[in-house]
Amino acid sequence: MLDVITLFLFSIIVYNIPLLYGTAGEIMIEKSGSLNLGVEGTMAIGAVAGYLIGMRSGSLLVACLVSFVASGLVGLLFAFLTVTLQANQNVTGLTITTFGVAFYYFIGNAVSNSESKWPALGGSRLDAQFQPLEIPLLSKIPVIGKVLFSHSILIYLGIVIAILMWLYFEKTNPGLKLRAIGENPGAADSLGVNIAMYKYIHIIIGSGIMGIGGLYMALNMGGTFEGSNCWINGYGWISIALVIFANWSPSKAILGTFIFGFFNTLRVQNAPLATAFPKTLWWLTNIPAQFFSALPFIITLIVLILSSVRKNNNSNEPAAIGRNYYREDR
Amino acid sequence: MKKYHLVRRPVQSIKRLLVYYLIGIVISLGIGAILLASLGINPFEYYGRMLTIGMVGNKYAYKNFEGFLKVLVPLLITSLALGLSFKMRFWNIGGEGEFLIGAISAAIVAFNVTGLPRPVTIILMCVAAMLSSGLLGVAVAFFKVKFNTNETLVTLMLNYIMLYVITYLGKTKEDWNFFLDPKSARPIFGKFPETAIMDGIKIGNFNLLWSVIVAIVLVVLIYIYLKYTKHGYEIAVVGDSAATAKYAGMKVGKIIMRTMFISSALIGLAAGLTASASGTISETITNNVGWTGIVVAWLGKLSTPAIAITSVLIAILQFGCKTAATKYPSIDSNFADLLQGIILFSVLTADFAATFTIKKKEDAKNA
Repeated sequence: MLDVITLFLFSIIVYNIPLLYGTAGEIMIEKSGSLNLGVEGTMAIGAVAGYLIGMRSGSLLVACLVSFVASGLVGLLFAFLTVTLQANQNVTGLTITTFGVAFYYFIGNAVSNSESKWPALGGSRLDAQFQPLEIPLLSKIPVIGKVLFSHSILIYLGIVIAILMWLYFEKTNPGLKLRAIGENPGAADSLGVNIAMYKYIHIIIGSGIMGIGGLYMALNMGGTFEGSNCWINGYGWISIALVIFANWSPSKAILGTFIFGFFNTLRVQNAPLATAFPKTLWWLTNIPAQFFSALPFIITLIVLILSSVRKNNNSNEPAAIGRNYYREDR
Repeated sequence: MKKYHLVRRPVQSIKRLLVYYLIGIVISLGIGAILLASLGINPFEYYGRMLTIGMVGNKYAYKNFEGFLKVLVPLLITSLALGLSFKMRFWNIGGEGEFLIGAISAAIVAFNVTGLPRPVTIILMCVAAMLSSGLLGVAVAFFKVKFNTNETLVTLMLNYIMLYVITYLGKTKEDWNFFLDPKSARPIFGKFPETAIMDGIKIGNFNLLWSVIVAIVLVVLIYIYLKYTKHGYEIAVVGDSAATAKYAGMKVGKIIMRTMFISSALIGLAAGLTASASGTISETITNNVGWTGIVVAWLGKLSTPAIAITSVLIAILQFGCKTAATKYPSIDSNFADLLQGIILFSVLTADFAATFTIKKKEDAKNA
């Protein structure tokens, strides 16, 4: 029975940490006042680039860097189109998603049909480096040890990134300026903040972070390319919802990841739970899987509506989100 | 200080815009050709097949043309509908969700209303679809108008909620679930009764579905609506500046809600027609028109004729890539999306080059 709970809690973290990467990256972008709907595509490109080059080099570090750079380049494209060229953010973001996912299939098909074939993750050096690290002593604690202290390095990295980002927003001067841009770019501009530079840097870094999340998905799904299913599998879209649920705060995003992850894991593990606790949780198997899948979006919809109905002053939604800044329109 | 800065061109020339667009598209196709060549595919052959949607030298060319029209009609109507809301700067990206709820409503009618003549059944299906989609759109507009709820994010959430609703219907084998095929042990969506399936006008072997005619009529109607009616004028003013509209005594909230109803109802109509034409529904019935429509409306600069032309081109691209993909194992129909992305990126760049110009600072001062 304890095993079931341990596995359940463990799965929440293992299968949902990419949401944290996606969400943290998107928060960074949205804080600069840009709404990037291209999370799914950005993650897909980072995933496929990082995986393939990472497999060649046999180094997880190289894989992460490549994912970061590849997705960062996608971010650069988004920044160039929306900041410099003043293109519409929704349209650009959506196109990045279609483009990115199509890019994944294109590369995947091309490599699978080539002579060298698609590289298999199992037994590779990359796989070895991705395996869980058992933190000495801590990982020996029952339940908690397995749940919290025996994970792949990329899981710890994701949490570290979210915490660092929180510190950056709250405690540093550039973080403050960034938030000012998201709230009122005109005012920030008049204070001498270089808006375009700030937007570029944060869109690129935010996209790069998403890329590592994509790489995680690739590795966690065993790195096999299927012609019909993209690794990212909608996590990019859930990340966009999670940004709202986390109220644009990277620290709340950690919590939010586990809450959304909880529902996601319930969908997969409802049967073992119902069997382990027949008296209290028998009803779990009666709930359709689609309900759990839809739940993040339903919750976010409710949060969106309630916070606007209540004219919630606690909402950290950047006021200038989604609008391009063109100085001469000011 | 920077020496150069961006200035909006004082005169927008359509000719310049078209030339820049064309250059952008040619460059994109060039990039696509390089990608194709890198896979060992002859790009000329591929593009040839794509642009002719596989009709040349094909005994069943009319089948291809029918297939192409089935891709075009929902895309065309959805793009026009989304364009309506975008004109007010109302970011309805919920085309997918509005389409899905429309398709579900049409299917409810199709499975339950029997014994009526075909045209009546199909019209009922379309009305049900339009009402359900329209109401969903009005609900979003209501929250936007009343509480300034972010419509982009709300419609995005609704897309996924609707997707899971239809997936649920398609995967749940229960007695009450009339959507499913009763004869199949596995849950699959059932086929509509004969009277709910659209027919058309036979021209030789070619079957011109009624939905195509409806779509063409709609293009004309929407053009007139936007150009020559008071409503159309109001939409334009609200899009230009909601404050101006308010000052001029227009009821902005009412205009937004009305337009969103029309916009979503049209997407519902597209869904009803598509469901009837395919004789069933599925999770993939939208064929992503809710997403692609956004791009099409934008590429068409929200002008009705331009959106119509763009959706024809995008439908050629999508259907063409699908037919071409069957010939080449190393590529799949997703290449259409890749190409579409590259085209949009370069067209956005072209758009910028046509709207803005780079000037030296001193020049600007003198001007």
